[in-house]
Amino acid sequence: MRASAMLLAALTLFLWAADVARQLQLGVADSGLAFYAVAGVAGVVVAVAVARQARGDRLALLIALWLLLSVLDDLAVDWPESRSATTVWMPAHGLVPSAYALMVLGYPSGRLRGRDDRLLIALAAVVGLVWMGAPLLFFRPTGCATCAPRVASWLYTGTTFDYLPVGQVSWAAFIVLGIAFVGLLVRRLRAAPPGARVTLLPLGLAVFFTAAEFVAQRVVWLGGWRSPGGVLDWIDRANALVLPLAILLGLAAIRRRRGPLGDFVVELSRARPGNAQPALARAVGDPTLELALWIPERGEYVDEAGMPIDVSAIPEGRALTAIGPPGEPLAALIHDERLLGQRSLLEAAGSAARLALENARLQAELRAQLTELRSSRTRIVEAADAERRRLERDLHDGAQQRLLALGLALQLMRESDVDSELLRQAEIELQTALRELRDLARGIHPTILSERGIGPAMRSLADRAAIPVTVEAGDERFPPAIETAAYFVVAEALANIAKHAEASAAAVTFARRNGRVLLEISDNGCGGAVARSGGGLRGLEDRVAAAGGSLRIHSEPGAGTVLRVELPCG
Amino acid sequence: MRLIIADDSAVVRDGLQHALEAHGHDVAATAADADELLEAVEHSPPNVALVDIRMPPTYTSEGLRAASAIRLRHPEVAVLVLSQYVEVDYALRLLRESPTRSGYLLKDRITQLAMLLDALERLDQGETVVDAELVDVLLHRPTTARRLADLTEREREVLGLVAQGLSDRAVAERLWLTQKTVETHVRHILAKLALPPDSDHNRRVLAVLTYLRVVDA
Repeated sequence: MRASAMLLAALTLFLWAADVARQLQLGVADSGLAFYAVAGVAGVVVAVAVARQARGDRLALLIALWLLLSVLDDLAVDWPESRSATTVWMPAHGLVPSAYALMVLGYPSGRLRGRDDRLLIALAAVVGLVWMGAPLLFFRPTGCATCAPRVASWLYTGTTFDYLPVGQVSWAAFIVLGIAFVGLLVRRLRAAPPGARVTLLPLGLAVFFTAAEFVAQRVVWLGGWRSPGGVLDWIDRANALVLPLAILLGLAAIRRRRGPLGDFVVELSRARPGNAQPALARAVGDPTLELALWIPERGEYVDEAGMPIDVSAIPEGRALTAIGPPGEPLAALIHDERLLGQRSLLEAAGSAARLALENARLQAELRAQLTELRSSRTRIVEAADAERRRLERDLHDGAQQRLLALGLALQLMRESDVDSELLRQAEIELQTALRELRDLARGIHPTILSERGIGPAMRSLADRAAIPVTVEAGDERFPPAIETAAYFVVAEALANIAKHAEASAAAVTFARRNGRVLLEISDNGCGGAVARSGGGLRGLEDRVAAAGGSLRIHSEPGAGTVLRVELPCG
Repeated sequence: MRLIIADDSAVVRDGLQHALEAHGHDVAATAADADELLEAVEHSPPNVALVDIRMPPTYTSEGLRAASAIRLRHPEVAVLVLSQYVEVDYALRLLRESPTRSGYLLKDRITQLAMLLDALERLDQGETVVDAELVDVLLHRPTTARRLADLTEREREVLGLVAQGLSDRAVAERLWLTQKTVETHVRHILAKLALPPDSDHNRRVLAVLTYLRVVDA
C-alpha cells in the first residue's frame, strides 16, 4: 500500500514537471505557473509525508490518486491536439470530483466510515464517467477538427461539451452531490468530539473554501463579469495549495494529541504500581481524573490504594468511561463530563493504562501463583518428612520393641526345658528381622538428624559409606527443612557415588556463607553424572527447590563430580 | 547384681526384667523415662543401670543425658546405654563424658542374652563396653583399612576387641592367647598408630575409637 502510494506520487511529480515544461515551451506560462508548480510539489510532499506516517499509507494513496487525476486533467489542456492525451484526460477529468470526495471523506484513516459516504462517492464516480465518457465515446473533441467522429455522430453539435444535454444533466447531478458532500462533512464535523474536531477542522475549512470559490467562479462566469483584479483566479490557484496544507495541519493536530499519550505510555511503564492515576490525568488533560480499578472478586471498583469507589453516585458534571471489554471492565475513568467528546483520547489513554494495569495484574497473579506453588511444594515435602518421622517412630515404638520382647521370651524358653533346634532357628530369624527393620527405620528418618543436627548426621552417613568420605561441617543447627533437605542430598549423592562414580574418595563440605548455606559433595570418580542422573538427582533437585534452594551439578567425564547445593539459612 | 531398667516400652521393660531375673539378677526398679530413672537411682543406687537411649519427651537421646547425670552423681553406678541404631557419634559422646563404667550396646543385643549379660558383668567390674557392630562399622571402612595397612591381621583383631572395651585379659581369653602376648600386641598397635601408650584400657577405648573415626582427606 505504501509502495503504491509512493509510486503514484512519483508518477504525479513526473507528469507535473512535464506539464510545467510544456507550458514553458508553449509560452503560455504566466504568473500562475509558479503557483501551480509549487502546489504540485507541495501536494506530492504531503502525500509522501502522510505515507511515511504510521498507518498513513491508505490516506497517502488517496491523496496521490487525487493528485494524479488532477495532473492528468491539466495535461490534456496543454496537449489539446493529442488524441491520446484527450482519451486519458476525459475519464480523469470526470473522476477528479469523486477522488476529491474520497480523499476528504476518507481522512484521516483513509477508510470510508458509512454507507452514505460510499454511496456519494460511487454516484460521483458514475456521474463523472458518464459526463466525460459519453463525449469520449460519441463526440469529436472540441477544437479537434481532424479527429474522427465517434460512434454516434448524430449527437454531435460541434460545440463544447458543457452545452451538451449530457453535460448539463451531469452538472446538475454534480451540484446535488456537491451539496450532499458538504452536508456529510458538516454532519461529521458536528458529530466529532472536540478532540477529533480539531483535527478535522483544517480540512473542512479547506473544502468550504474550495466550494465557496467554485460557486463564486460560476456566478461570476455565468453573469459574464470579471472578478476585480482577477482575484478569483488567484484564489483558484491557491486552492491547490490549501488542501495539502489542511491535511498537514490536521495530521499535526492528531500528532499533538497523540504526543502526551505517547509520553503517558512511557511514564506509565516507568511508574510504580499504584501511580497510574497522575500520569493518566496529565495525559488526558483533566487534573480531576480518577482511576477506578475493577476487582472481580469483590464486584466493585477500588482506587489505586484499594479503597472502594462508588461509581453509582457520580456527581453532576462528572462522567465515567469504562475500559475493557463490555461486561467485564478492567478499570474505569471518572472525569470531567466535557471530556466525553474526546472519547477516542480517553479510550486510547485507557487502553494504554489497561495494558499497564493488565500487565501489573497478570504479574501480580503470576507472582502469587508462583509463591503458592513454591509454598505448596514446601508443604508437601514438609508433610512427607513429618510422615517419615512419624513412620519411624511407629516402627520404633511398635514393631521393633515387640520383636525385642519376643526375642527375650524365645531365649528364656530355650534356656528353660524346651530347648530345641527349632527355637534356635526362630531366634536367628528374629535377629535378621530386627536388623532389617532397624536399617529400614533408620533409612526412613535418621534420629541423629533431628537430635544432633546436620553435621553429626552427615558424619554418620560417612561412617557407613563404601569409600572414604571426609566431612567438613560444624555442629551448628539449622531449620529442620534445611537439615532434612541437605541430609537426603548427601545420602543420595553418596549412594550415587558408590553405585556409579567409580571414585576412591569423596568430600562433603557444609558451610554458612553470605546468609546462605553452601553444601558441596565432590568425588574423584569418572564424572558424567548428568547423563546417568536418572530420577535420583532430579528428586534431589525437587527437594532442594522445595526448601527454597538450588542445585547444580558439574560433572565432566573423567573429572569427577561436584554437586553444589545452595539453601537459605532460614 | 542390682539393676535398674529404664525403657519407655513396657513390653521391653517387662521382658528384660523377666529375663534378667531369670539369670539371677535383682531388678531393683524399672523406669519409663529419664526422670523416673534418676529418681530410682537416687533412691537406691544399683550396680548397673540399663538405659534406653530414646525416651520421652523428645524420643531422641534422653538416655545419653540421663547416663551422664548418673555417672556424674554416682560414679560407682555403671550405665549401659541401649541404642536402636549404631551411631558412632553417640558412643563417642558417652565415652568422652565418662570413659569408664560406660557401655554402648545395640538394643537388638537383648535378644542375645549372653552378650548382654557379659556386658553387664564387664561394666560391673569397671570396664567399658562398646558394641561390636559399631567397631565393625569403623574397622571395615575403606579409609580405616588403608590407615591400618601396617597392622598384621592378628593386630587388627586385637584392635577390634580393644575398641569394644575388652581388657587385655578378656582379649587374651577371647583369642586363646596369653595376656602377655596381648599386651605386646597392644603396645605394637599403639606405636604403629602413633597413639600414646596407656595402660588404662578404658581410656584406650576412646582414643582408639576416635582414631578410627577420623577420615584422611
